[in-house]
Amino acid sequence: MDFFFLQVQAQNSAENYFPIVIQILFAIGLLTLMIFGSDLLGPKRKTADKLQNFESGIEIKGNARQPIAIKYFLVAILFVLFDVEVIFFYPYAINFRALKWEGFLAVVLFVSSFLAGFIYIFKKGALKWEE
Amino acid sequence: MNNVLHIVWLIPILPLIGFLINGLFRNSLSKSVAGFVGSAVILASFALSIFAFLQVKSGNTHLAHYFNLINIDALRIGFDFKIDQLSSLFLLIITGVGFLIHVYSTSYMHEEPSKDFAKYFAYLNLFVFSMLLLVMGGNYIIMFIGWEGVGLCSYLLIGFWFKNNDYTNAAKKAFIMNRIGDLGFLLAVFWLISKIGTVSYDEVFSATSLAKLSTTDITGITLLFFVGATGKSAQIPLYTWLPDAMAGPTPVSALIHAATMVTAGIYMIARSSILYSMAPVTQCVVAIVGLSTAILAATIALKQNDIKKVLAYSTVSQLGYMFLGLGVGAYTGAVFHVMTHAFFKALLFLGAGSVIHAMGGEQDMRNMGGLKKHMRITHLTFLLGCIAIAGIPPFSGFFSKDEILAAAFEASPVFWVIGVAGAMMTAFYMFRLYGMTFLGKFRGTHEQEHHLHESPAAITFPLIVLAILAVFGGFVGIPEVFVHGGHKLAEFLAPVFAQTNAYVSSHHAHEALSHNTEYILMGTSVLLALVALSYAINKFSKYQKTETASTGLAKVLENKWYVDELYDAVIVKPLRSLSAFFNNVIEKKGIDGLVNGVGKAVNYGGRQLRWIQSGQVGAYVLLMVIGMLVLFIIQFFVKNI
Amino acid sequence: MNAIIFSAIWGVLMMFTGAFVQSKTLPKYLAITGAALLFLLNGIELYNGTPIFNINGMNMLAITSMNLTFLEVIFAATLLFFMLSGRDVERVGEHVSEYFALIFFVLCGVSLSSTYNTLLLLFLGIEIMSIPLYVLTGADKRNLKSNEASLKYFLMGAFSTGILLMGIAFIYGGNTNASFYIDQIHLGVGKMPVMITVGVVLLIIALSFKVSAAPFHFWTPDVYDGAPTVFTSFMSTIVKAAGFFAFIRLFKTSFGPVQGQWQNLIVFITVATMLIGNVTAVFQQSVKRMLAYSSIAQAGFMLLALFALNQTADDGIILYSAAYSLATIGIFAILIKMNDYTIEGFNGLAKQQPLLGLVATICLLSLTGIPLTAGFTSKFFMLTAAVENGHKFWVVIVAVIFAAISAYYYFRVIQAIYFKEPSSAEPVIDAERVSGSFKILLAITAILILILGIYPEILIGWAHH
Repeated sequence: MDFFFLQVQAQNSAENYFPIVIQILFAIGLLTLMIFGSDLLGPKRKTADKLQNFESGIEIKGNARQPIAIKYFLVAILFVLFDVEVIFFYPYAINFRALKWEGFLAVVLFVSSFLAGFIYIFKKGALKWEE
Repeated sequence: MNNVLHIVWLIPILPLIGFLINGLFRNSLSKSVAGFVGSAVILASFALSIFAFLQVKSGNTHLAHYFNLINIDALRIGFDFKIDQLSSLFLLIITGVGFLIHVYSTSYMHEEPSKDFAKYFAYLNLFVFSMLLLVMGGNYIIMFIGWEGVGLCSYLLIGFWFKNNDYTNAAKKAFIMNRIGDLGFLLAVFWLISKIGTVSYDEVFSATSLAKLSTTDITGITLLFFVGATGKSAQIPLYTWLPDAMAGPTPVSALIHAATMVTAGIYMIARSSILYSMAPVTQCVVAIVGLSTAILAATIALKQNDIKKVLAYSTVSQLGYMFLGLGVGAYTGAVFHVMTHAFFKALLFLGAGSVIHAMGGEQDMRNMGGLKKHMRITHLTFLLGCIAIAGIPPFSGFFSKDEILAAAFEASPVFWVIGVAGAMMTAFYMFRLYGMTFLGKFRGTHEQEHHLHESPAAITFPLIVLAILAVFGGFVGIPEVFVHGGHKLAEFLAPVFAQTNAYVSSHHAHEALSHNTEYILMGTSVLLALVALSYAINKFSKYQKTETASTGLAKVLENKWYVDELYDAVIVKPLRSLSAFFNNVIEKKGIDGLVNGVGKAVNYGGRQLRWIQSGQVGAYVLLMVIGMLVLFIIQFFVKNI
Repeated sequence: MNAIIFSAIWGVLMMFTGAFVQSKTLPKYLAITGAALLFLLNGIELYNGTPIFNINGMNMLAITSMNLTFLEVIFAATLLFFMLSGRDVERVGEHVSEYFALIFFVLCGVSLSSTYNTLLLLFLGIEIMSIPLYVLTGADKRNLKSNEASLKYFLMGAFSTGILLMGIAFIYGGNTNASFYIDQIHLGVGKMPVMITVGVVLLIIALSFKVSAAPFHFWTPDVYDGAPTVFTSFMSTIVKAAGFFAFIRLFKTSFGPVQGQWQNLIVFITVATMLIGNVTAVFQQSVKRMLAYSSIAQAGFMLLALFALNQTADDGIILYSAAYSLATIGIFAILIKMNDYTIEGFNGLAKQQPLLGLVATICLLSLTGIPLTAGFTSKFFMLTAAVENGHKFWVVIVAVIFAAISAYYYFRVIQAIYFKEPSSAEPVIDAERVSGSFKILLAITAILILILGIYPEILIGWAHH
């Protein structure tokens, strides 16, 4: 007796996704069960202290939703941007030999476009913290 | 000038240039310049036409293709000119007579303000351009463009003095009647295109195309073309516009409503002669309509007192003869009559114009008389014109009319008898006109008598030239009975009608009239014309004004058989009430109601739909999701929208 | 190929101009040069058949004369747009160079989405096209409406992108070849498998969103109204036409043979789009907002090409893009100069600026589809194509009725231009904003509209070159 997961490979049709549907249903069911189950079963004691925000035991000082300098977001988003691009180096690192000089050139092009972007944001003053 | 045929496009272009110059600069041109430009371009066209004619005479016909006018699917309609015997002859008539009339106009229209003067010449040039396009075109579409163009110019020129309400009404009448005919023409062209997919003469008349047409097709097409011809050439039932068209300046009447435009129908049928020969039913209709028109118009002309009206009815009558000729298969005769008629009728109109000019605008013959003494050249040339139209040998009208009548006799002696009766009437009313105008005593006012004078050279010169042509023009077509090989025109036109003649002789046993019969026919008609003529001169040289109202037949004739009244009662009035009905009930209640209803619905819908656009992103996304659901439902559960 | 590479390079160049050069007028001229070069390079490729840089694209791009002709139209329209409205781009804000750079990136996306041959590149193209537009919409940073529009556009755009990706995934998973290549999604003529069907519906939804077809058009009026008017002009013409072209190419190449199975959806979308666009436009008081709705209505007409899906429709969509872009760019170029964007603001325009009044009238007539203008020929092509399709003739009748309704709101503006007296003593347009060269360019636009209206062959001839 074969596993039916292996049979699925043979052809690609809607009914083959049936196990996935079952899995999704199962996952949703489990989640619901756990959330509502713990809610139902667990003991509840509501006090004023408990409903307050937890800030490592330090007393609360004002509202948490304070305006933060836009520069913070700018730097953060630029970091994320460049950081994410690094992901492309992983496949390249693995195929480094196979792709030969052609691949190298492509990566150089890729990196140089980064560099251009970096020069641009630098020149535009996006990374200047104080002004 | 060996290659003049390669520059034939200049012939119509020159008048167009004249039109543009006179039209665009009408405010700044002086009268002499406008008149000179207007006449010079026609003279140049005339010179080119002569060269073209000589080329054609030596046997070179020409088909020029310039560009494709319409190019859809398999239908190719080119901007083509066809210069052959028929069109080159018409070119000569149009530009030749046209030139003379332009010269005449420089004097006749001299009292107009210079702006109107230039406008007049612009219109006249445009007319010549359109007319040339009509005859030079190598297919029915180009002919139709010219056909419409001349109709427009005719409208513009009839209503030239547009401040007079009657004149504008006359212009509108002419235009509308022509439009009715044009519809027939257009339908015929559409029929041709739908059946054989081409409108070029050469292709339509080729054996393969003709084989594709059934008898019904040919009869239908030719009848529709004939409807077009009845409009343009003033035949029953669409002839009533032509007498009214006399509202225009007299040279215009001479050029457009006598010599050229009204013969367009004859040209068109002569051009399509093969089609007509293949449709005996249509030929019969053409002959009968032509003959009826000839006789009806002649009877009306007997009792008219307006000098131009007499000539107008005479023109309608003569056109009727031409159609009779076409109907009985005498194409050459019809074309011959077009030519001679162009000479003598232009002459008569211009002569009448000279008289009107001398009389200070008076057109009523009852107030004329005795002009012989005062206007020698006009009198003499007018007399020659009258003799020519009356058909007295050896003047030109005799030869052409005789040819048509002989052919009519061959077809049916009845045609001949009626035709000769009409010819008699022609002689009578023409000499009634002559007698009332030039003989006897002057019946006008003193002031007018004092004013009487011979017209200037610009007016008499065209009269003399046309008189010469009217006298001798007939010698190009001397019948076989007099001189063997005397009919030069028939020889010249033979290639055009070769196909038709071949077809006719292969289908009908053709027996030429014996010489004796022909002599008898000629003698009879000439004799009768002479009788009518002398009676008219006798009676009207001593004409005195009487106040008694005419009665009986005379009254009917004076009122033109009440045809206008009949049309008014049968067509115009019902149409008016029908349109009133449409206007008040269907338009106001039905269509307006519907349109306003749609407007209101759209307005209401717009106001409602606006609320959907709430500006909330959440609402938008919700609506989009609903939209997605709808799409999925349509895709999976709806078979067909 | 030339277009894709060059537009990207020029975008970067414009970006650096912004960083290194202070001049405020230079970017405009640089952008005009760039658009002219794009037009030229693409023209060379169209004419010669070979690009200057030839990169092995693994057959992921379909460089055909039809696609290149379309791009040629796009670049011509962009060039015209730059020349007519370049000065108004300068007025939007400080970062002039960046605005142009973003437009060039949009053009890169347009080039990709016009020549893609795989679903991946379609996605890339559409995204490259859309993202700079989100930024451009919010370019007027101090204007709240502009910010709001930008955020709305971004949120809803992201939503539709998700649907697009989902659709692509379904198509990829559902086709037997497991292929991204649009010409290899073999379907035969049998019934589509369920997964493909779902994919097709999702793709239709996502692409309908991009071309602002109902019922996924909700972003359009708000975004077109909120965005700086110059960019509205650009978005509603060039980008929209590109979206249509991508839409039609995908469905013709991949799902053409089974059109009967999804035509219902297109019919629904087409009719809904025409209904909503035309009926809502009737009620607008602001010309800018009216044009936003009218662009939805015009999209309904362009959808007829998708309904017809034949050769005439291909020719028609190119012609329609050109006609619609010309007229809309022309009318927007005038609208930007107006002091008042409402219809009353146009009162008496013809008396104060006869040429502007005339050109605006020609543009509006073309949008209505009056003969002798390009709008007529393109509508005629669309209707012909729809008739040739042979199914559901009633759609054609509905289209004609809506075209008639559209006359109402377009003619209202014409009426204001010619037959009404100015509502206030102030001029409707400040004379110093209308330069001589602007007038000349407007006249050229009008003449182009008329030429395409009389002799559309010149454009269509290229596509079959």
